[in-house]
Amino acid sequence: MKKIYFLVLLAFVALAIFQACEKDLPTNLEFTAYTYASLDEDGGNWKPILLDSATVIGIPAPEAASSATYQTELADLKAASANLNDDQKKAVAYWSGDGLVRWNEVARELAAKYNLPPPPKTDGTYGAPDAANPSNIPNFPFAHPPYACRMFAYWGTAQFDALIAAWHYKYEYNRPAAYKTDTSISTHLPQNDLPGYPSDGAVVAAVSKRILSAMFPLEKAYIEELATEHLNSLQWAGVSTESDIVWGDSLGRGVAGKFLARAGSDGMKAAQTPKPISDSLRVAAKAKWGWQWDNLESPARPVGITPFFGRVKTWCIPSVEAVRPPVPPAPGSAEFLVAAEELKKISSGLNEEQRKIANFWADGPSTYTPPGHWNRFACDEIVSHKLSPIRAARVLAYMNMAIMDAGISCWDTKYYYHYARPIQAIAGFKTILGTPNFPAYTSGHSTFSAAGATVLGHFFPEGTAKFDRWAKEAGESRIYGGIHFRFDSEMGNTQGIACGNYTIDIAKADGGE
Amino acid sequence: MKDFSIKALIVCGVLFMLAKPKTAISQTPTDAIMMEKGQLCVAAIYGHDSWDKYWEGTYKRSNGNIGTLTRQSVTGMFSLGITDRINVLGSLPWMKTSASAGQMQGVQGIQDWGVWLKARAIDFKLGPGTLGFYPVLGLTGPASNYAVDYLPFSLGLGVVEASGRGIAIYEFDMGLYVRANAAYHVRSNTTIERDYYYIPGSGGVYSNKVDMPNVSSFGATLGALLLKNNLKVEATYEGMNTLGGADIRLHDMPFPSNNMDMTRANFNLQYYIPFSNGHVLSVIAGGTHVLTGRNMGQSTAFMGGLTYQFGVFGNKNNAKQ
Repeated sequence: MKKIYFLVLLAFVALAIFQACEKDLPTNLEFTAYTYASLDEDGGNWKPILLDSATVIGIPAPEAASSATYQTELADLKAASANLNDDQKKAVAYWSGDGLVRWNEVARELAAKYNLPPPPKTDGTYGAPDAANPSNIPNFPFAHPPYACRMFAYWGTAQFDALIAAWHYKYEYNRPAAYKTDTSISTHLPQNDLPGYPSDGAVVAAVSKRILSAMFPLEKAYIEELATEHLNSLQWAGVSTESDIVWGDSLGRGVAGKFLARAGSDGMKAAQTPKPISDSLRVAAKAKWGWQWDNLESPARPVGITPFFGRVKTWCIPSVEAVRPPVPPAPGSAEFLVAAEELKKISSGLNEEQRKIANFWADGPSTYTPPGHWNRFACDEIVSHKLSPIRAARVLAYMNMAIMDAGISCWDTKYYYHYARPIQAIAGFKTILGTPNFPAYTSGHSTFSAAGATVLGHFFPEGTAKFDRWAKEAGESRIYGGIHFRFDSEMGNTQGIACGNYTIDIAKADGGE
Repeated sequence: MKDFSIKALIVCGVLFMLAKPKTAISQTPTDAIMMEKGQLCVAAIYGHDSWDKYWEGTYKRSNGNIGTLTRQSVTGMFSLGITDRINVLGSLPWMKTSASAGQMQGVQGIQDWGVWLKARAIDFKLGPGTLGFYPVLGLTGPASNYAVDYLPFSLGLGVVEASGRGIAIYEFDMGLYVRANAAYHVRSNTTIERDYYYIPGSGGVYSNKVDMPNVSSFGATLGALLLKNNLKVEATYEGMNTLGGADIRLHDMPFPSNNMDMTRANFNLQYYIPFSNGHVLSVIAGGTHVLTGRNMGQSTAFMGGLTYQFGVFGNKNNAKQ
């Protein structure tokens, strides 16, 4: 009998060990603040995306390093970084100075949080998010892929322009970093030779705060809290004085305002059309092509996701028509039947490898969406290449412009051809991924991914083969998941590459190569 | 001793009558019946479980893209008397899920293996009956590479789960008994097929591992042995409580680490047919209905099956005594 009690005791000890051994799961990219591979001293001369010049938003010349005001700032900074508690140390390590990758992660997290389709009401109708009343149910926004790609694009481009301006002022005013002037300040981040005024971290925080608060109005308080911690971390780290931060913040806010003005008139407000307009697109497609896409959900959603996203202002492509793919195979045609047979065959014998690919790239509701997935890849590269914030922002700006252009052109194609999904075109067809609420041709993920891969391959040429493989696999995943025909994915890939190439042409001429 | 011997035959019991995917309670032996040394009982049980309403957090709803979700299973089980006081039990279910509406593909395959050690630690006469205490240690884990993150269709949650259960039973000499059990289930992380997910109220996780909260479960049973101990009848109220995890958000997909809670009522019968060679066949049937729930379907389930008991070592005619 004693043996039994011993066994029971032993089992519980084993259980406790078993569970204690499981590590905490990562909630962000794990890296430590690094020394920049290059300071990109000429960054202030690069061509901005939207601003006419680096000096559109002005900031005053800083107090001289020898001035009494600045000496007081230095003393304050010295005090702030002298004795850090654990929370302060954690904040310094987390934000790691410029904080660009962290804010990209925040943007991804908010995309995931708001990527929820509106629920049906008890009477079978659907409510719509309302930007004027964001807390109504369903909350604003519904961060579907078009919404998310636009959010990332404004966030990335505004960061890039603001950092070009910051670099310009850093080298124009050339006030050394605080720790260069007063070497007794203890610092908790790698030191570098960048002039300290204005603080690049404060620029990044301010741009993030303004853009993300506009995109996710219900998150203002949360974003404010993060921004405050980020700014504090720059002082705890012993790297930025008060005037570095105050004027970095001012510059960032000013530049972000220019981008928000563009966003306010880029056509997004009209993208989620009322039902009569959406119906007219369907009728036009039926008349022109002889087919139409229908939403098969129960209850049926009256309007697809952003029928007019194809009319939103593009960044780099000359027009959506310039990259619009040819007419897809007519349902019933020989080419269509081959694609439909392939789907049926895959679906009935889906192997584990195919299932894993479908799920890995699903990027569906409650995830950061396909554009978010590529932002993650970009940040992985940024960290492994130890890019300075201005060069990192350049990658994120161009990649996200290409991804948004891909989204706009893909959405134009979707509603222009209004092509049916496999569940509609193949009787009795079932899928392992939920079928999204917009037409099939071309595949959004394929288009987003090809655009992202093309631009990342330009900036990180040694990764080209890997990025292309990922983009193709993302396209393939939609076939395995049963939500796209092969021609949706293949044409999407071609379309995305075309968008990416237009973007690269602009990047090549911005002085930052 | 005769009375006790007959009870020993009943080992196959309804241990797995509640066989239910995704619930910690599912394959855990909760009764207080022991096989005598050398006796082996094997069983095959069919289960049919369906729901058309589920709880999204605490909000109960239906879903036109699911209609009725049905899960059918066939479970093979065994129970073996290592000694008169220690039994080992095992189970392996095959199951199939499907929805009556929408376009999502159902799945089928082998779910989770389970192994339990059950001991008769204490039993003594007390008043007009006998009081017994039985500790049970269990271990379950996925028996195939099913997709975990495909609720409500997934076969299971993909966790390795270790559980400790205590069963107390008071049996009146007249054949009526009351039984209570409580268990704590420690769960490993599970693995999903993507490396980012969002947990409401907590944030994004950059991993394909999911931290699974532990689970507690309980049950209270009133049972009787009728028809000269050939028929066992039991009614049970039981529940499980996931100790953590997030609610499913409005119109979001479920997630393996959701806070899944429920209580349910269960009724079952087992009829024993002893053979002259000492072997025993039994027929079992039962039903269960979920009363309250959270992040789960309100399922109604029926099951039926056969058990067969025979000696494999020791005194092979033990049952005849």
